[in-house]
Amino acid sequence: MLVAFAIFGTLPFWISEIGLYPYLGAEVLIFCIYALGYNVLLGYGGLPSFGHGAYFGIGAYAFGLAQFNLSSSLWLCLVAAILAAAFFGAIVSLFISHRRGIYFALMTIAFGQMFFFIASKWTSVTKGEDGLLNILRLPADFGFAAYPIQRNIPFYWFVFGCFVVTIIVLWRVVNSPFGKVVQAIKQNEARTAFLGYNVVLYKAAVFTLSCAVAGFAGALFAMAQGGAFVQVMNLQWSGVVVLMVLIGGGFVSFWGPVLGVVLYFVARDLLGVYTDTWQLWFGLLFMLVVMFKPEGLAGIWQGIVYRKQKPRSSASLHLLVMLRGR
Amino acid sequence: MKIKITRRALLAGTAATAGVTAFAGPWKHNRVWAQRTDKPILIGLTHDASGQFANSGQDEQRGTIMAIEEINAKGGVLGRKLSYIVADTETTPSTATRIAERMINRNEVAFIVGAIQSGVANAIGQVAQKYGVVYFNTNSSSPTEAGKDCQRVKFVWDGTGANFANAAAANAVKTFGKKWLLLTNDYVWGHNTSKATRTTAVQYGADVFDEILVPVGTRDFSPILLKIQQAKPDVVAAAVGGDDFKVMRQQTVDMKLDRKPAWLNNQQDWPDVYGLGIDSVFGVFGTTWYHKLDLPGVEDLVKKYQARWPDTRIDVPGNVFYNGYMAMHELAKAIERAGSTNNLKVIRALEGHKMSARDRLQHGDAYIDPVSHHVQQTIYMAMGNDKPVDKTDYFKILSWVGADDAKDKNEATDCKLQPLDKTPSYEM
Amino acid sequence: MDFLLYLLPHLLNGVALGLLFALIALGFMLIIGVMEVINLAHGSLFALGAYFALSLMTPDGGLKLGIAQLLFDLPIGWRYVIVLILAPIGVAVVGMGLEVCLRRTYGKDPLYGLLLTFGAALVLEELIRLTWGPTERFIPMPPSITGAVFIGDLIYSKYRFFASGFAILMIGLLWLFLEKTPYGALIKAGAHDSEMVRALGVNLTRLRLFVFGFGTALAAIAGIVMAPIWGVRPHVGVDAVVPAFVIIVLGGVGSFWGAVIAGLLVGMVVGLTGAYATDWSLIAMYILLILVVTFRARGLLGKKSVLEL
Repeated sequence: MLVAFAIFGTLPFWISEIGLYPYLGAEVLIFCIYALGYNVLLGYGGLPSFGHGAYFGIGAYAFGLAQFNLSSSLWLCLVAAILAAAFFGAIVSLFISHRRGIYFALMTIAFGQMFFFIASKWTSVTKGEDGLLNILRLPADFGFAAYPIQRNIPFYWFVFGCFVVTIIVLWRVVNSPFGKVVQAIKQNEARTAFLGYNVVLYKAAVFTLSCAVAGFAGALFAMAQGGAFVQVMNLQWSGVVVLMVLIGGGFVSFWGPVLGVVLYFVARDLLGVYTDTWQLWFGLLFMLVVMFKPEGLAGIWQGIVYRKQKPRSSASLHLLVMLRGR
Repeated sequence: MKIKITRRALLAGTAATAGVTAFAGPWKHNRVWAQRTDKPILIGLTHDASGQFANSGQDEQRGTIMAIEEINAKGGVLGRKLSYIVADTETTPSTATRIAERMINRNEVAFIVGAIQSGVANAIGQVAQKYGVVYFNTNSSSPTEAGKDCQRVKFVWDGTGANFANAAAANAVKTFGKKWLLLTNDYVWGHNTSKATRTTAVQYGADVFDEILVPVGTRDFSPILLKIQQAKPDVVAAAVGGDDFKVMRQQTVDMKLDRKPAWLNNQQDWPDVYGLGIDSVFGVFGTTWYHKLDLPGVEDLVKKYQARWPDTRIDVPGNVFYNGYMAMHELAKAIERAGSTNNLKVIRALEGHKMSARDRLQHGDAYIDPVSHHVQQTIYMAMGNDKPVDKTDYFKILSWVGADDAKDKNEATDCKLQPLDKTPSYEM
Repeated sequence: MDFLLYLLPHLLNGVALGLLFALIALGFMLIIGVMEVINLAHGSLFALGAYFALSLMTPDGGLKLGIAQLLFDLPIGWRYVIVLILAPIGVAVVGMGLEVCLRRTYGKDPLYGLLLTFGAALVLEELIRLTWGPTERFIPMPPSITGAVFIGDLIYSKYRFFASGFAILMIGLLWLFLEKTPYGALIKAGAHDSEMVRALGVNLTRLRLFVFGFGTALAAIAGIVMAPIWGVRPHVGVDAVVPAFVIIVLGGVGSFWGAVIAGLLVGMVVGLTGAYATDWSLIAMYILLILVVTFRARGLLGKKSVLEL
């Protein structure tokens, strides 16, 4: 944890030296927030959602609309974005929480596509493919002092603050009794239910939580881009977060998603400079990781550091395999 | 003495004032640095290489690169060469924002050129406006680009949906009949374009009796084609774009519905049709340029294109290439006129600039509208060619409409450009 | 009466559409049903089928082998028949290559199979773009199956009759293969209980290789049949994989007739909303899915599957 904080906490001082730029840093952190929230659902709850881009997008739109219609307070707009994403997440969770595995995944796709469709169709509110433009980076007002964050480096610091808060909250959640139950559901839903836990309620809660975090990230992204665009809600972008989480090793580590996001953005940015066919190389890299190191980057890291010890959640993976062996 | 001033240093210098004064602050830092350098002028090319508009993006890229090479062959601009970097915007606004940020802050480009889709154009435009970087939207034809989403730094080079509607509708009422049905792609471009068509058509006495909304991503038009047959309109005015349009064209031609009713398609981009055979062109449609226009210089350009791009599947230049090519040449000329790469001077050199028909390789003169930053230009009406002279001769040009007749009157009221003195200044 | 006259063509069109949707989903169904792999590369293989067909149908496809010239000299009808056989075989070879990569994910979370095929989809799409270029392509078709037919005072596409007929044929053949041949029995057994099949001395590795190749060949056939309707462009696969997904879930994983019925249902819904509320015709499919799965957890005819774990 300290390593991550040290790297991200000093990033603006050296990022330009290594050939990158602060905006990329901010974008990486925003996607880290998104991916960490998502991993609570996928890595800890074992619930694959392929429509999470929808809640990211809802957060972005809600932030913009709140800013234009409700208030010019950064905090109020952020809260509005989180609540909006959580609200729609909660409604969807009513439909999907007693589903499992592939049916769960596919229902999330169906809902994700519906939100995407509505966002692109409802042009009077979302401005459709032109995008909801001119969303401001509102000043961060702490009561005693207000900091403007329009420029990329102050904005980066603000996002970094959000990142730290998110990590603290999510860390607490996954290590709380609630988090343990969620992990138990991943390992064996039926057994957890027999133990007297209301499994459906827990699944709904963890889904809503991850939607709220996605909405939060979406709001930050709307600020970063200065606009909200419908494309982040489509199936492809929803898939990207799954990809980042898994390539980073979300199944075996809390920090996996962070590694995945960093790899995704940096690799794409660098490949994108040298070749138009980055998609080919990225796809190949991705296939190789899945084939040879499915625990992702975090798995590789753990393999090096704890050569003797068993990594934390590989036990649950083994359990899954056993259950599936029939 | 050689002073290297980067934009980053410049921004850091102005940050003190700009940062503290937040929104209200006077963005007054129009300082001009004396700059005598032979450093190349770096241009960022934001053309799609993947996603829905990859094909068109690559075509406009051929245009911008060819123009840059021609300019350099003649000694460059102000004694400096042009150089460029390319990045794939993936037809995705979030990627476009990141690329624009990188090009401006990291690569320190002087100008940015390229766009097909309006969301991408807006995403880049917003970043460009923030830093004051002059940006050319070469090929996004949404009327909102030069309307409510116009920017001081952004210049729009393609004709918009409204231009094509204005140019086509009047004639079509006279030629084909009064019973009109609108087919509208259910997104902003579609709605705006259909609105313009409806206004003009009604003005000339048409009865628009129905409007069918086509969801974006529709891959099967058979229910719609049946519905059209049942409604029996004289004219179907379609504002359907992108892949949806390609699919619609294929299915309509397959059912042989392309002759009756009469189809009025908004704009036919050359990369979307070339290679599919002359039979695949259907309806009456608009374009800003055609490689067989009977004008001096056109044939020359075709030859130069073929010499430079012998391997591309698109054997002759089309409107998308043309927009990129012309825009880049005009950028160089504007820098030359401004006598500097200072962005505000270049903007002033572009605003209101008149381009002769001869230079534009079009039939009428064109100008950059100082109110909307839109290039007001000749619009051609065309249809599929029944007497092609060779295998590239897909279009028959029917008529053309001059810049002022095709002009979208709403631009003047919808577009509010940011004041020039609130646009950050730089010189690369 | 007027209402019915208006409705009837749309109903028939809905059935035709449904058959095409079922055809698109067949290969996807086979792979998910037998191997429990969600093959996200289905769409790219679908596209690859169309591009292979393009290269075999016309010199325009860029194939410069001497032997291909023999093919180009054939009358177009024969060429089309040969292409319908050769192109899917070519795609099956690619599919088998993918299956070899997939082996490393067996026994792990099904998400990994899905991810690997997601990566493969990216790679294949980019390879298509590199090989054939980003432009829209056109596959020439025998004139006997193109053009218009008049039904009453309505015009309909001749090709759609051919394509729906072909879809029925493929559905029938696949059913016969699965139900009436020993190979089919083996495949079904493999889907049901792979350990037992292995214990009986069947080479499971080879069986899986075969099934995956077969499934991708079906994807390629769908790609070739849909090419004249959807067009041929590198990212056309995205249009195929999503409906295939929806149909399989709607019909129920592992159910042959479930997929066929779901395909028809989706076609009907798309066709009818297209006639009455066109702007909702795309999303109708998802609303249908949500409604069905809310009330029937495993789709219409689904069986229990490890994918639910």
